[in-house]
Amino acid sequence: MPRYGMVIDLDRCTGCRACMAACKVENNTPEGSFWMYVFRFEEGEYPNTRIWFMPRPCMHCDNAPCAKVCPVGARYKREDGIVATDWDRCIGCRYCEVACPYSVNYFNWRDPEENQYVNWKDPELEALSGGVIPPYKNPDLDRPCGPEKRHIAGASHVEGVIEKCTFCVHRVEAGKTTACAANCPEHAIIFGDLDDPASEPSQKLQRKSSFRLLEEAGTHPRVQYVGGTPHGHGWRQIQPAGKRS
Amino acid sequence: MQAKLERLPFGVGQLTPKYLTFVMGMLVLLAIGLLSYGRQLSEGHIITGLRDIGSMGGATWGLYIVFLIYFVGVSFAGITIAAMIRLLDVHYLKPISRIAELITVTALILAGLCILPDLGQPLRGITNLFRYARPQSPFFGTFTLVVSGYFFASLVYLYLASRPDAATCAQVPSRLQGLHRLWAAGYRGTPAEQHRRKVASFWLAIAILPLLVTAHSTLGFVFGLQVGRPGWHSALQAPGFVVMAGVSGVGLVILVAALFRRLYGAETRLDDRIFRWLGNLLMVLVLAYLYFMVVEWLTGAYEGHQHELKLTKALLGGDFASTYWLAVICLVVPLAILFGQWVRNQFSLTQLVVAGALVNVAAIAKRYLLVVPSQTHGTLLPYGTGSYSPTSVEYAVVLGVIALGCLIFAIFVKVFPVIDLTDGAE
Repeated sequence: MPRYGMVIDLDRCTGCRACMAACKVENNTPEGSFWMYVFRFEEGEYPNTRIWFMPRPCMHCDNAPCAKVCPVGARYKREDGIVATDWDRCIGCRYCEVACPYSVNYFNWRDPEENQYVNWKDPELEALSGGVIPPYKNPDLDRPCGPEKRHIAGASHVEGVIEKCTFCVHRVEAGKTTACAANCPEHAIIFGDLDDPASEPSQKLQRKSSFRLLEEAGTHPRVQYVGGTPHGHGWRQIQPAGKRS
Repeated sequence: MQAKLERLPFGVGQLTPKYLTFVMGMLVLLAIGLLSYGRQLSEGHIITGLRDIGSMGGATWGLYIVFLIYFVGVSFAGITIAAMIRLLDVHYLKPISRIAELITVTALILAGLCILPDLGQPLRGITNLFRYARPQSPFFGTFTLVVSGYFFASLVYLYLASRPDAATCAQVPSRLQGLHRLWAAGYRGTPAEQHRRKVASFWLAIAILPLLVTAHSTLGFVFGLQVGRPGWHSALQAPGFVVMAGVSGVGLVILVAALFRRLYGAETRLDDRIFRWLGNLLMVLVLAYLYFMVVEWLTGAYEGHQHELKLTKALLGGDFASTYWLAVICLVVPLAILFGQWVRNQFSLTQLVVAGALVNVAAIAKRYLLVVPSQTHGTLLPYGTGSYSPTSVEYAVVLGVIALGCLIFAIFVKVFPVIDLTDGAE
């Protein structure tokens, strides 16, 4: 059984946020929720400033605080390393969200269909689209995942339920890579089997020194960073992404 | 068995216009709360002030969780006092025990109700929490120990302790006679029955006392075990919850008992001795809690860990300073009052009531300061500072829950004497 992980090369990342867009398109996440998020940091005072970037997917921790606290086992760790959320079982208590040190969880605060970037129920649009199935209802994506056959990914989101980066489990199970890795123009995001020493991410880890975020929290993230350093005191976030106003 | 009563005591079964006005007012509040909850159900949590932690810059737990832990805290009082009467043999406290037990039972019902509006899928919550219960989750303790075990034990205790009074009331001809007869369930007060009841409630008290500590601790663990939230991750959280529960619970018992003493002119049943004892207990608890607060503050400030420091700054001099210092004042002033009373051996009920009210303000403020700042100002990745302000929906739902608690009390006092009729010495 492969154990998936991700290696992100900060020397390559240009902060273009294509991965964020790719994730949105692939997973049809509602407005304001960013399963993949790219920090843009700035340090120092003009003219001695420096900028760097850091993509932040879910860390899929091996010792996941979110899975530990879930009262109903909706958040769970799969054997292949992926931390998944069962959208049919989650009761929406958001305990996983407060437990996560990386703040990667997003709650469906309202009906996700009303929270899409385009209102597909708009009569004008319906006249044009001829009533096609909107992308956020793509039936191809809506199938149970893994041997456990649970509703942990796909297109139709559920109101009042927590969700987060799934490592594109529906793509991975079909033998593809994640949407963010596939769309990164700089090949900064590399996804693969970390147990296989010949895999691309393992090779990368052998060549370059790596670090993981908030190592001191003891969460054992499966996402590792190479090139660059962890953010320190002086870094401040610039150009944060958020909801359209 | 006591002498026969002429009529039901303490206004049981008598409805006054004032009482009806109060009930109507509470019903209106409850209705507003229900309507708001209905709106939240249909439109989603988007109409609350809650948002995602991190890139959305919000707090995902808010007023509902604040009042959930406040109500569980308040429930401390009844069982502590009931158990103390039993185990420490402080018999002169007995007249207050039913008020205290009723606070426990009511507060636990309200706490259970506060969970529901917080859930995104309340119906699933009711089924899945049982179907897929995981003991590894700190929430498990909240649902089993607190909401089920603790609640059930308190209810049984309340019932056991009330049977003699039900028997007394059942001898009085009234519309409620049938109910009281059912309540007494054949209790006659024979020596054998009294002995059995005493033994049963003694062992129940012994069982309840450790339950009290563990139940309140599990609620502390909901926060204290989270490594990802500065301000939460602390070994002090569980004992702090037990002590704060005592502070708010005893404070509320003082308030409610003083209210009933005034309403029913029960100065002889609820005498000054009881209130003095409550005041002294409250003083010790407030002192212990202030000590915890200093330890917490010193750890956060001295250590200089960047996230703890940011949070401590926000509390002491930043966005939450006004609430923080309000809480401090609402603990220090009662302490001064209570200490003054104790050291000069003087007693004033008004002052004690003020102290009881203030510590409850402090309790709500401290619960708020525990829940919210660690989410908005406690992200470990540099997301930037968030904010949270509750919306009218959240206020309305919480007020509705409180109104329901008042209604439970209002109904109880009209069907059963809320002040114990029998003396402790039996």
